[in-house]
Amino acid sequence: MMFVLLMVTGLFAFGQTVQITGVVTSSEDGLPLPGVTVKVQGTTIGTVTGPDGVYTLQVPREAASLEFSFIGMQNQVVSISGQTRVNVTLNPDLVAMEEVVVIAYGTAKKGSFTGAAAQIESKKIETRPIANVTQAIEGTNPGIQATSASGQPGSGQDIRIRGFGSVSASNSPLYVVDGVPYSGSISNLNSQDIESISVLKDAASSALYGNKAANGVVMITTKRGSKSRSSVQFTTTQGLSTRSIPEYERVGALAYYPLMWEADYHRQVYAATPVDPATAAQNSTNNLIARVGYNITDVANNQIVRTDGTLNPDAKILGDYAGDLDWQEPIMRQGYRGEYGLTFNGGDDKSDYYVSLGYLNEKGYVIKSDYERFTGRINVNTTPKKWMRTGLNLSGTMTESNVASSGGTSYVNPFFFTRNMGPIYPVYAHDPVTGDYLIDPATGGYIYDLGNLPGLPTRPAGASPGRHVVAETEWNDDLFKRNVLGARAYIDIMFLKNFKFTFNVASDVSAYNGASFENKTVGDGAPAGRADRENSLTTSYTINQLLNYNKTFDIHSVEVLLGHENYDYTYSYLRGFRQGQIVDGNTELVNFTTTNSLTSYTDKYRTEGYFARLNYNLAEKYFISGSYRYDGSSKFYQDTRWGGFWSVSAAWRMDAENFIKSQQWIDMLKLRSSYGAVGSDNGIDFYAWQARYNIGVNNALEPGFIQANLANEALTWESNNTFDVALEFGLLKRVTGSIEFYHRISSNLLFSVPLPLSSGISSQQQNVGTMYNQGIEARLAVDVVKKPSFRWNVDVNASTVKNEITKLPPGQTEIIQGSKKLMVGHSIYDFWLRDWYGVDPADGAALYVANIKDFTTQASNLRIINETDTVSISQNNAKYAYHGSSIPDLLGGITNTFTYKAFELSILATFQIGGEILDGTYQSLMHSGNYGNASHVDILDRWQKPGDITNVPRLDFAQQTPFTSTSDRWLVDASFFSVKNVTFSYNLPASVTQKAGMKGARVWISGENLLLLNARTGLDPQGSFAGTTDNVYTPSRIVTFGINVSL
Amino acid sequence: MKRIIYYTMITAALSLFTVSCSEDYLDTLPTDQVSAADAFTTTTNAMQALNGIHRIMYNQWRNQGEAGEGSMNINRDMLGEDLVMTSAGNGWYNNTYKWVDHRNETSSTDSYPWWVYYRIIANANMIINNIDGATGPQADKDIIKGQALVYRAWGHFNIVQLYGKRYVAGTQNTQLGVPIMLTNNFDGQPRNTVQEVYAQVEADLTQAATLLATYTRPNKSHMNLSVVRGVQARVALTKQDWTAAAAFAVQARTGYSLMTTAEYTGGFNNYTNREWMWGSTVIADQTTYFYSFFAYMSRNFSSTNIRGNPKAINRVLWNDLAFTATDVRKLNFDPTGAHTALALPSTFSKFPYTSQKFIAAGGADSRGDVVYMRAAEMLLIEAEAYARMGGRDTDAQTALNILRQARETVPANYVASTKTGQALIDEIMLNRRLELWGEGFRFTDLKRLNLPLNRNGANHNTALAVVMDVPAGDVRWEWLIPKAEVDANKQMVQNPL
Repeated sequence: MMFVLLMVTGLFAFGQTVQITGVVTSSEDGLPLPGVTVKVQGTTIGTVTGPDGVYTLQVPREAASLEFSFIGMQNQVVSISGQTRVNVTLNPDLVAMEEVVVIAYGTAKKGSFTGAAAQIESKKIETRPIANVTQAIEGTNPGIQATSASGQPGSGQDIRIRGFGSVSASNSPLYVVDGVPYSGSISNLNSQDIESISVLKDAASSALYGNKAANGVVMITTKRGSKSRSSVQFTTTQGLSTRSIPEYERVGALAYYPLMWEADYHRQVYAATPVDPATAAQNSTNNLIARVGYNITDVANNQIVRTDGTLNPDAKILGDYAGDLDWQEPIMRQGYRGEYGLTFNGGDDKSDYYVSLGYLNEKGYVIKSDYERFTGRINVNTTPKKWMRTGLNLSGTMTESNVASSGGTSYVNPFFFTRNMGPIYPVYAHDPVTGDYLIDPATGGYIYDLGNLPGLPTRPAGASPGRHVVAETEWNDDLFKRNVLGARAYIDIMFLKNFKFTFNVASDVSAYNGASFENKTVGDGAPAGRADRENSLTTSYTINQLLNYNKTFDIHSVEVLLGHENYDYTYSYLRGFRQGQIVDGNTELVNFTTTNSLTSYTDKYRTEGYFARLNYNLAEKYFISGSYRYDGSSKFYQDTRWGGFWSVSAAWRMDAENFIKSQQWIDMLKLRSSYGAVGSDNGIDFYAWQARYNIGVNNALEPGFIQANLANEALTWESNNTFDVALEFGLLKRVTGSIEFYHRISSNLLFSVPLPLSSGISSQQQNVGTMYNQGIEARLAVDVVKKPSFRWNVDVNASTVKNEITKLPPGQTEIIQGSKKLMVGHSIYDFWLRDWYGVDPADGAALYVANIKDFTTQASNLRIINETDTVSISQNNAKYAYHGSSIPDLLGGITNTFTYKAFELSILATFQIGGEILDGTYQSLMHSGNYGNASHVDILDRWQKPGDITNVPRLDFAQQTPFTSTSDRWLVDASFFSVKNVTFSYNLPASVTQKAGMKGARVWISGENLLLLNARTGLDPQGSFAGTTDNVYTPSRIVTFGINVSL
Repeated sequence: MKRIIYYTMITAALSLFTVSCSEDYLDTLPTDQVSAADAFTTTTNAMQALNGIHRIMYNQWRNQGEAGEGSMNINRDMLGEDLVMTSAGNGWYNNTYKWVDHRNETSSTDSYPWWVYYRIIANANMIINNIDGATGPQADKDIIKGQALVYRAWGHFNIVQLYGKRYVAGTQNTQLGVPIMLTNNFDGQPRNTVQEVYAQVEADLTQAATLLATYTRPNKSHMNLSVVRGVQARVALTKQDWTAAAAFAVQARTGYSLMTTAEYTGGFNNYTNREWMWGSTVIADQTTYFYSFFAYMSRNFSSTNIRGNPKAINRVLWNDLAFTATDVRKLNFDPTGAHTALALPSTFSKFPYTSQKFIAAGGADSRGDVVYMRAAEMLLIEAEAYARMGGRDTDAQTALNILRQARETVPANYVASTKTGQALIDEIMLNRRLELWGEGFRFTDLKRLNLPLNRNGANHNTALAVVMDVPAGDVRWEWLIPKAEVDANKQMVQNPL
């Protein structure tokens, strides 16, 4: 019948038609779109595009325009105006109400979803030069805070979702890869394989991961083949990396001498038995080189700094010293990044496949830091029978990486060592008389100056004598290899029309092999050389059984899910450590003489859970959902190990109501709310409830063990109860957004409570207290310009976090931990610090507001300043007080996307307003005379003579502890604005690619960490959530060029 | 047919649901730990708990400079005038030497003794309070409990000497001491008086002496009756109870002979030494690397610290005329700093009066046995106690001369001391300083005798030492209570600032 009708129409039209052809492509990836409906507007004349995106249509001569439509894309009407070739690029449907969100144990349509989830699509991930996909999350959605990724290749970012739910337990979200909690490193995943990342923020969306989801869930889903579009794609990116944040501003070589002179001078004149100033000045002038070791000037040792404390104007840097004082230059290099990927994907009606191979080679900008990764993935799904579907997703990763030491104050940490190395110490040995480089007769090259070579000066304690980070980095090894295998298999069985039974099995196996070697010449390995081998095997299994029931009758729709899940995690560890290298160049343990350590152990962790979920929807207008999960964990005692977690949620599609339908300007309006409880056993040790003794604490050959920790049979699940309400909207066909409020109460906080040291045990795991996080999250995406050839979209998000402790255990009014104090009414990140008063203009002493209440104090410690203020010159006597918080007032991200024809420019910026950072790194550079240690330029503001008004105390070798103790003096504003990523891409026109036999091609250039504006040069404002700093591998700036070809 | 498939499916599905795991699926146990309950089921296990404490004495702890008791020996001498830093080295112990760290409530040096001795006490209390329930011979229980009691006493004695005010004989000693811990209590206890602490120490030692009366130990890491008597002698000496000190010291050294002069220059690193009464041996896989006592105090271990900052003796003490030039104890120091016999690599800095008393296992091996008590100290306690009690100068001379004679390398140069009164006391104290240099006695000696610190006129570099004088009775003789204790223990009272 239809056939006849078409025939008739066709016959009728014959002779009065024009043939129009063209290609329809997607603006997302530039690839041809098969299956697009092409219609002459206002008629039934139409066709669909073929597998190559090409259509051919006979169009009546009088037809004005063609209409293109495709699910998930915006309809487009194009006027014909006499053309016979009409190529069209379809844009994704912004409102995308049919978009599918990946949630716990299933998917949901975004339009009907009752929870809070944010999704990041593959398009936003593919072009970014990141080895760890956690880096794709920051800034894209509200409610997410991230630390910066270390510059060590392969590093990821730490993520916090909606504040900080725990004190001692982990605050990290749960990572779920293809439906299963992931025990491996996220850097095992090839970012090209990622289909989407869903961030589940509220209880309604995460409660089914109840036992692990207290801090939110990041669900990573890998790609699968598409049934209708088979393709082969090749992608490569090539790029360069450099350091993104500059070094702290430090004092130069010649300016350093007068500073150290002053430290020695003041030591004498302010000593308990003072030396008279003239004698002291002469001593300091004469002894300057005795204090700092090196005279790199062309004047005599006692001529560098004059007795008035000023630099001798005739002093110049001698000979080759001038070019050899920068310690960072020799350990840094031009970083490089290359990535190659090949994927095949496709399928037919019954089966689909996705196969990928990837290779990444990244060399960090610090020598001996790199990351090489091979990845492979096969994802096959098939429906052999109508009632049965099954699939397997296998992935393998091989990683090999050299790791630069990072963080802390280890001598082998290049960032610590070079940052704090005084400016007068050369990298290579010089003739002390001429300043010329010394030449090693054996090699003909320069000689590393270890700071204590015979015949050469010795570096003082502040300049790490006998250590040399350049030599040690070059001669030592620290690397690891990791082989990872992941498997996900499932079988779905559909029966009785509305039922589906699913059986999932998943396993992740990670084999890690760490190897380090410390050389014989310099450092901890000297003089024998030593080697360390670490092997671990991490195995996790998840098995679950799910039963789904789906039924729609009239306007009612019901979905029921029942499930049972087991999780089993095993970690086996083996380590050997030997010293006494026998043959040079061989670092295997067999080549060493003495065993210093040989140990192994195995840890086990298991959980088991039962769960259920019910979704109901009335007329696609009213949605309600409820879930319950009952979980047991091996970390808790048998009587307390089971916990129940649940959620209820509802959504109202207001735009489906008639009174809104009539409002043309409203495209979509949804009100949703949820409340639920999720738990956590994360971050406490595997056997937390048991009282244990450590074994292997032997007394020579006699076996021994010592008390390790206390029992706590009452220890149980930490619980997070989250309330969430949100309004989602789409307006004027160009604005979408949401505004959301959450209130998250964490109770039974898992906390490692510090015990009095006199108890002999440092801390105990307890469920302590209650706190809440609450905030407002807003997101607005606007098509500022929306024309067929040019679009400008601005996507802004912003959020607030307020964190407050509301309850501590009875009798425990406060718990002090480092620079923080936990107290009711304060956040876990409120700084509790000595109260800095300032500098006494009379003698330049550091002054703290005095605590005269709690101590018996000698009068000599106290002073009265400004007639009324009692201050102390002893840091022990300082009053502690609350000083701000590391939590910002507002944080967020802005993405600007410009699309012009086939060009796209996307700029991601993040920002934070408010919050404080305790800058301990700066503090160490502001020392009061630690001979040899580099100084920050702010030290130039120091007190020098009576009457000086300044905030920097005098330089005085003897007073370093009281003058530079940790206090609110070291707080700095944490606000920042950062351009995280800029990507500019171009889809080659189909006419060009087709000639070359390709389906499509795209080129792009992308850069990470391009700009940072903040309060202090050198400081990374995203160093840690707690607002403390460390000498970590400064994040790298990476710029890459990429090309993607589809065949 | 279809129906059959469906029912098979349903049955399969439901059966999978009911496949739950076995009852004990969620019971997991560590492989590198044992449960506290199992630690005291038998005396064999309890003996391992005791060996754990022996290990605490030389284990590597939180920071470099925290290697059991050896590090405390360094700290106590670093605060005196006889141990001299020759340079800042790479910074370790600088702030102890400057009298800064033990008066900085957040420094790890300040908290270390509190942390480590209370850890010893806690482990001892676990034994003392659980051993009676263990199965095994009563004799074994006595041995284990006896040694645990010695540790508890010795731990409290060490802590009260550092953090409490000094014991003043003839007074009530109601000044603040430290908390007495007799149970594994986690609530935070108030400070007991100095008198109460000493009373508890003495009670524990008395009981230990009974339990260990007939104990023959397998090696010197264990404590037998002579060690109990040695600790009792130290306690009595600190209490200025001269009679008891002398009596205990005599009993303690019974059965020990003094080192030969050859042995005396052997490096102080072997606990099988005839003179050693108590010490630990360190085997290869228990090395403490750069934490070790020998990583700071030996002359030969190639650490940055030793290469740049070899430790020297106070030259005034070394040159004192109380010692002959051929006294073996002087030979352990080189006034030129050359140490030619050691053939040190050229990267080792040389300073006058540096020590080679302690010799590590090798340039690349920082191991060495750590001495906690030896017979010479007992002779010195005996001599000092007799000399100070009055009327027993002859007995004091006898004890002193036994030691002096043993230390003389040229017998002809030996002249017996015949001094009396204060001159005799002075000579004994000089001998004590030289004999026990580097073994961790000087700070507590100055404190118990209420003497000032006086580093003037010697080879101390004022730029390094900074503090040259501390008057007797100054608040700085009390270590500050660690802030971690004050923060977590509401009943804790800080020492005067």
